[in-house]
Amino acid sequence: MDSKYYVTWEEYLAEHPELEGKPQQAIAPKIEKYEDAMFTFIMDLLL
Amino acid sequence: MTDAAARTNERNQIFRDLFSGKTPKRVPISNPATQDFAIQHAGLDLAECQWDLTKLEPVYDKFCQDFYTDTYPGGSIRIPSHYQILGSTPIVMSSSGFMQHPDVVGMLAEEYDQFIASPYDCIVETILPRLYTGFNGEPGKVAMTLAKAMRAQSDDLAHLGAIRAKMNAKYGFAGMIGALTEAPFDFMADFLRSFKGISGDVRRYPDKVAAACEAVLPLMIKKGTLPNPSMLGYTFIPLHMAPYLRDKDFATLYWPTFKKLVETLASMGQNVQLFVEQDWMRYLDYLYELPENTIMRFEYGDAKVIKEKLGQKHIISGLYPVTLLQTGTKQQCVDKAKELLDILAPGGRYWWQADKSIIHLEASGPVVENLKAVLDYVHENGTY
Repeated sequence: MDSKYYVTWEEYLAEHPELEGKPQQAIAPKIEKYEDAMFTFIMDLLL
Repeated sequence: MTDAAARTNERNQIFRDLFSGKTPKRVPISNPATQDFAIQHAGLDLAECQWDLTKLEPVYDKFCQDFYTDTYPGGSIRIPSHYQILGSTPIVMSSSGFMQHPDVVGMLAEEYDQFIASPYDCIVETILPRLYTGFNGEPGKVAMTLAKAMRAQSDDLAHLGAIRAKMNAKYGFAGMIGALTEAPFDFMADFLRSFKGISGDVRRYPDKVAAACEAVLPLMIKKGTLPNPSMLGYTFIPLHMAPYLRDKDFATLYWPTFKKLVETLASMGQNVQLFVEQDWMRYLDYLYELPENTIMRFEYGDAKVIKEKLGQKHIISGLYPVTLLQTGTKQQCVDKAKELLDILAPGGRYWWQADKSIIHLEASGPVVENLKAVLDYVHENGTY
């Protein structure tokens, strides 16, 4: 999805160099979970 | 193993068989009455119970005890708190406590190009601020309103989820999970262009309607994707606008992206349940083309023709007229259930559901007794 309001983990990581060397396997699912939760919430407002 | 756990296992197997095209042990049943009905059945105030969800556990307990069903009954996607916080205009609570969806226009005709360029950006920047007052104003205030609304919905869903888990543990319902999405054309009509708006667009700007449906398709697929596809999960797609379209507009504007949506979800291993609203008899040949074992809950139509044309490939459901529960005698209601069972059950691929959800309950009316009689009849006579 091409949107400034939805970022993939790769796009997020590119914007947050401070995460280099951090446990990305633990961080990625959490960041993605809340990105998807916001997407679902927004779309539910139109269903 | 408890009795409830054994019932869950039995029901899970029935649905696994149904969804994979095997003839199950018996016809599975879903109670068509909603949470609104359950609250009225318990004699409580509809508005108060939807705001104070702590009142709902005994409501559901009575509901589950009084009416036979193989799947968890009720449920609600429209809980009032977050709509109120966001200043909703498309979903509002009526004075009698029912959540209603007035016809709204979230997107203007001249905004098609903006939508086609980036549907999600257009939704966030243009459509939501038009429909929800909470998306307007100072950025900090909007951010706080959104945070409060999300927290409210999250709390409400957690509360309803806890009740559901308790009822499943007590009554042993099948362990179903679901996602909700829409056909792209219906999404464009429903909250964005309105019934009247999209009907005009089909004639004035058919190319833009087609492009908008293509543009929004990835969002509809994402919205309908289950976290973990399973044989007991399904994506629910209510279908709205097709019966109001000319055949050629259906073929060029509605069908292509709807078909891609269903095919993509099915290719991910997901079951898809269509709520085939209004009369789709002239589109049965199209429906046949969808992936095998697509679940089709019909509102209207000729049960014999539907079974004949679709019943060897797809799973048929619905068609039981809930209005009969209000107007008919108990015997007439049971006779109708028998008639549909005789037509639709042979060979499997039949899930007993009604043609509509039951929302309103007239306290002195016959619906409670008639519904109980029908559900019990199908349970006792739907064995293969």
